Amino acid sequence: MANLNRRIQKETERLVMDPVAGISASPDPSNPRYFHIQISGPITTPYEGGIFELELYLPDEYPMCPPKVRFLTKIYHPNVDRLGRICLDILKDKWSPALQIRSVLLSIQALMSAPNPDDPLDPAIARHWKEDENGANRTAREWCLAYACN
Amino acid sequence: MHAQVPRNFRLLDELEKGEKGLGDPNVSYGLERGDDNTLSNWMGMIQGPPGGSHEGRLYSVSIHCGPNYPQEAPRVRFVCRINMNCVNQNNGNVDPHAFRIIGNWNPTYSMETILVELRKEMNSAANKRLPQPPEGSNY
Repeated sequence: MANLNRRIQKETERLVMDPVAGISASPDPSNPRYFHIQISGPITTPYEGGIFELELYLPDEYPMCPPKVRFLTKIYHPNVDRLGRICLDILKDKWSPALQIRSVLLSIQALMSAPNPDDPLDPAIARHWKEDENGANRTAREWCLAYACN
Repeated sequence: MHAQVPRNFRLLDELEKGEKGLGDPNVSYGLERGDDNTLSNWMGMIQGPPGGSHEGRLYSVSIHCGPNYPQEAPRVRFVCRINMNCVNQNNGNVDPHAFRIIGNWNPTYSMETILVELRKEMNSAANKRLPQPPEGSNY
């Protein structure tokens, strides 16, 4: 596995041995660049109590390019589209090789706490957030109960 | 050795390419349903090549990517009726034994490859002048 360089190995070890609170990341047994993620919905948000599954992949050029990541669990959030794709600057133009998988997961967790309807992926959801935040939060809670809580 | 891209991320890449309209301008493709989180069911469109019996026609093709895509070829089916030697006359299924891209599939091929090659097949000597069913008829 010549391509699985030391940095990825070290990151994986640290993710497994010293996990971030509320986030679990495990490499896929058949592909060490592919990770199964679970993020606990942050408290005091509509996502509280939910467990959100994501998948993450480290392309060949990582860390010179960002990881690719998406939500597998349905989530009502202005920066996440129907396919779970995430609008997050460090996943695009603000990525730097100084960042890690850990930073990405923390940023996603933070995004759940602070939705940004001014940079939306789904315009209808963003509009809901801007016009009726309470209503949007209620819908987010309903979806969380329906999809992220067993 | 290139890292093996997991199915879902490979399909998301293809989706993005399709959404941006990159690649061959004579074909297009996207998810059949915008909320298909499993990324399995796709719809492609092929513009019939000029100079033959497919000229001016637009063909819809349904593509199903199973759990082992891209190691395994997708299932491909014409939605619109077409008279072509690699398409089953009764149900529109593309026959892997007659269509090399599916029969001899390799993971470097993509859904775009399938659509482009089907279009080439329409233009082949064997298919170019075959009489076609009325436009707009489906299986």
